[in-house]
Amino acid sequence: MTSLVGRPVARVDGRAKVTGAARYPADNPVPGALHGFLVTSEVTKGEVTDIDTSAALAHPGVVAVLTHRDMPRLTVPPFPYLKGFIPMQDTVIHHAGQPVAIVVAHTVEQAHGAATLVAVRYRAERPRAVIDDAAESPYLPPPFRDRRNEFQRGDAAAAWAQAEICVEARCSSATRHHNPIEPHATTAQWDGDRLTLHETAQGVNLTKGVIAAVFALQTENVRVVAPYLGGGFGAKGPVWSHTIINAAAARILRRPVRLVLSRAQMYTMAGHRSEFRQHIRLGATRAGKLTALLTTTTAQLSNTDESIFNTCESARFLYDCPNLHIRQEGVRLDVATSSYMRSPETTAHFGLETALDELSWALDMDPLELRRRNHTEFNQETGQRFGSKHLLQCYDLASRAFGWSQRKRRPGATKDGDEYVGWGMATEMHTFAAMPSTASVTVGLDGKAVLRVATQDIGTGTYTIVSQIVADAMGVPLDAVQAHIGDTALPVAGVSAASATIASVCGSVDRAARAARDAVVRLAVADDRSPLFGVPSDEVETRHGHLIHTRNHERRDSYRAVVSRSGKPVEATGSVPNLPGLSYGVVFAEVRVHARLGSVRVTRVVTAHDIGRVMNRRTARGQVIGGVTWGIGHALMEHTVYDRNTGRVVNPNLSTYLVPVCADAPPALEALFVDEPDPGSTALGARGFGETPITGVPAAIGNAIYHATGRRVRDLPITQDKLL
Amino acid sequence: MRKSPHPATSPTRRTVLKSTAAAAAGATLVPNPVSAASSVSAAAPTTAGDASEAVEITLSVNGHKHALTVEPRVTLLDALRERLALTGTKKGCDRGECGACTVLVDGERIKSCLTLAVMREGSAITTVEGLADGDRLHPVQEAFIRRDAFQCGGCTPGQIMSAVACIREGHTGSEEEIRQWMSGNICRCACYQNIVAAVADAAREGRG
Repeated sequence: MTSLVGRPVARVDGRAKVTGAARYPADNPVPGALHGFLVTSEVTKGEVTDIDTSAALAHPGVVAVLTHRDMPRLTVPPFPYLKGFIPMQDTVIHHAGQPVAIVVAHTVEQAHGAATLVAVRYRAERPRAVIDDAAESPYLPPPFRDRRNEFQRGDAAAAWAQAEICVEARCSSATRHHNPIEPHATTAQWDGDRLTLHETAQGVNLTKGVIAAVFALQTENVRVVAPYLGGGFGAKGPVWSHTIINAAAARILRRPVRLVLSRAQMYTMAGHRSEFRQHIRLGATRAGKLTALLTTTTAQLSNTDESIFNTCESARFLYDCPNLHIRQEGVRLDVATSSYMRSPETTAHFGLETALDELSWALDMDPLELRRRNHTEFNQETGQRFGSKHLLQCYDLASRAFGWSQRKRRPGATKDGDEYVGWGMATEMHTFAAMPSTASVTVGLDGKAVLRVATQDIGTGTYTIVSQIVADAMGVPLDAVQAHIGDTALPVAGVSAASATIASVCGSVDRAARAARDAVVRLAVADDRSPLFGVPSDEVETRHGHLIHTRNHERRDSYRAVVSRSGKPVEATGSVPNLPGLSYGVVFAEVRVHARLGSVRVTRVVTAHDIGRVMNRRTARGQVIGGVTWGIGHALMEHTVYDRNTGRVVNPNLSTYLVPVCADAPPALEALFVDEPDPGSTALGARGFGETPITGVPAAIGNAIYHATGRRVRDLPITQDKLL
Repeated sequence: MRKSPHPATSPTRRTVLKSTAAAAAGATLVPNPVSAASSVSAAAPTTAGDASEAVEITLSVNGHKHALTVEPRVTLLDALRERLALTGTKKGCDRGECGACTVLVDGERIKSCLTLAVMREGSAITTVEGLADGDRLHPVQEAFIRRDAFQCGGCTPGQIMSAVACIREGHTGSEEEIRQWMSGNICRCACYQNIVAAVADAAREGRG
C-alpha cells in the first residue's frame, strides 16, 4: 500500500500557481462583463444629503451610476454577514469608507475615473473611532452566535485576594487589517432568477446562503465559484456589502458586472481585528500553581453590530486554574464592522502569556517550568480528560532544539555588538472548528479519479492533501487524482476558516474514495472478463492503479480496465459530520534589540506543535513559517491608525501599514511536530491547525524583549519608539 | 498597425468597434429597469472610451506582438490582464507597494501597475506566462515548487519574476542578500524562508 498521507508531498496545484495558469476569481473571463467601482463615504458619521451623478454619467464608457435611490430593498442576511446593515439602502453613514454609489462602466479605467466625478454632499457629525474617545463605558454584549461573553468558575475575586503571589497587567493592541495580497473580487452574472458569483470566498456555501437570503432567491439558484483564493486570513470568510451591491447592480443592468476592491477600500469594507484592551490578573501559590485568573477585555465595536471576535479561549482551556472570571466587553464606536482575523485568540492570549512571564519573574522561576506546573490533561469546563494532548512533549522537543536550558536568568545579560539578545517563550493554543461535509469520487473510463467537494484552498494545501487521501484510499498514483473544489455545484462542505478545512473534509474524502475503490473491486470480481473474476472482494488489494489478488499477485486487473469494460464511470460519496477541537504547541524566540535605536530583529525561532496526525509535513511547515511571521507583524509592526478628528483610516495601504517582508522573517526557523494521530479525530487522526502557530508568537517576542532589555512592553505593536 | 500573430487574444480596432456596436444595440433592446432614469448613462455606451483619446500601440509580450487600442491612462498591468487576458500577473495594491504585478521589461523587474502601457511600446515584456519553455518549467518555477515557496499563490507570479531578475542582477550572493533584494515583494502567507531557499537553489543552478 503506498502511503502518501503524512509525507511532504509537493503541492499538486504548484504548476498552475507558478505558471500563472491558476485562475483566481478576478481572473476568470466572463464574456460581456462590465466593471464596477464603489464610491465611498468621505465622512464617518452623518448622512448623504445629495449625490450628483451627472458628471460621472457623462464620462465616456459609463453605463450607470447607482445610488441608494436605485437599489432594490434588500434583506439584511444572517451570519456570516456581520455588518448589521446593507449600505445604499438609505442615506445614513455609519463609518468612513461606507459605499454610497457604484459606477459601472465598460473598462476598469472608466469606472475608476468616473467614480472620482460622483459629487456627494454630506451632513457630518463628529465621530468617535478609538477606544480612548468612547462616549460610554464598555459593556458586556449579548452572546454572539450563542457564545457567551462572560465565563466564571470558582470564586476568582476571592482567590485573587488570597493569593500568595499576584500579577496584574494592562495590555493593548491596535486595530489590524488582514491584507491578503488578492483584493476582494466579485463578478455577478444573472440568468433570470439564477445568480452565479465568481467570488473571493473562503466559504462558497456560506456565501451562497447569505446571497440567497439577501435577494430572496431559492438557494439552489445561487452558484458561488472560487477555485483559487489569493489569501483570506478571515477577510473573505464573511460576506461583505460590496458583493451585495455589485450583484444588485448586475441585476438592474442585466449585464454581468465585476468589482474589485481597491487596497484602500479593504481597510473599511472587509473587516479587521478590533482595537483591543485587556486587564489581566493572575494569582498563584509560591510554588507557581495558578489559583486565580481574571481578565476583562475591551473591543472596539461598530455602531451596527456587537460581535466580539477576539476571545479568551486560552484562559478558559489551556491551564489548570480552579478560579476564573472572564468578561469580554466592547465599546460602540463609529468604525466599520470588525471580524475574524487569522488566529483571533492571539490578541487576548498575548495578555495571558505575558502575565505568565511576569509571574515567572516574580517567582524567580523558569517560565517554561511555570507552564509545566500548570499543565492540565482535563478540559477545565467539562472536567473530562482530553482524548489526546501532547503539549508536554512539545515543550520537551522545542526547548531542547532551542537550547532553552542555556537561558540566562537575568534580563539584559547578553549583548552581542550593538544588540541585546533575549529569549522568550509562550504556549500556543487554537480552538479549531469543523463542519459536516460530503465528498464524491468518480472513477472514469480512463481509470482516473475525480474528487468533488465544495471546500476551498486558501493556500493551506487543500488540493494536495485531499488528493493524497484519495490516492492512498484507492491505491492509485497521485497524478491519477484530480480534485475539484471551490464551487457550490460540488457536494456540500463548509468554510475554510477557523482552521476547519482539514478537520472538515478529510473524513468524507477518505470515505468517498474507499467507497469508490470498493465499488470498482465489486465490479471486477463480478466480471467474467476480469482476471479477478470470482475472487472474494476482501482478497483484493489496490496499488499503483491496479487491483491485485492478495494471495496470487499474478491475478490482477486495473481501475482503467475494469471501469472501461463496464462502460460507465463509477461514483461513490462519503459524508462525515466532524468535530471541533483544540491544537497545541509552543514557540521559543530569540530577539536582538539595538541598544541605541530600539529596533528589534527576531533572529531564531523554534516551534513544536501537537496537531494530531500531520497530513503533509511540507504544507504544515508552511503554516508554521507563515504563522510565526504573522506573529512578528502582530508583535512589532502592524497597526491601523485612525484620525481621531475625522474617524478615517490614515494608513490604508501597504507602504504605511507595514506587514512583514522577506527581510523581517526569522532567518533560522525550526518547525517540529509531535505527529501523534488524535484518536478522537474524524479526519484520519488530524486536527485543525493553520491558526495555531501565531497565537503565542507576540507574547514570546515581548517576553524575549524583556529578557533582552528589562523593558516590559504590553502595548502592541512594540514599535521602535516604545523601546527608546 | 502591425498585424498581430495572436488575433484571438488581440482585439483590433475593428473588433473593438464591433463589440461596441453590439453592446449599444443590446442596451437599446432592454427596457431600462432603473426607476431613476438619471442613473443610467443616456449616451450610447462605448467600450474603449472616447475613441479620440485612445491610442493604438503594439506590445511585445512573451515574444509575441499584440496590437491594441488603449487610453493613455491604462497601466501595463491592466493592459496585460484586461486586454491581453494574461491574468497570471496579479493586481495586489495598484500602487507599487506589494510587488504582485512584477514583470520583466527589457530584462529588468518593474511593477507593472506603476507604468503605462503606452510607455512600453517597443520593449520586450516577459510575464509569468512566458517563463516556461513549453512544458519545461523555468528553473525558478521548479525551485518554487520544490521548496514550497508559495501558499495561496497570489504573490507568486510577482515573486518569481522578481527572483528571475534578482538572480540575473547578481543579488544572490548570500541568504541575507536574497532576503534584502526580495523584500519588494510581499508574501502575506509569509512563505519567506522557502522563497529564499528557492531563489538560492535557482541561483546555484544558474551558476551551474
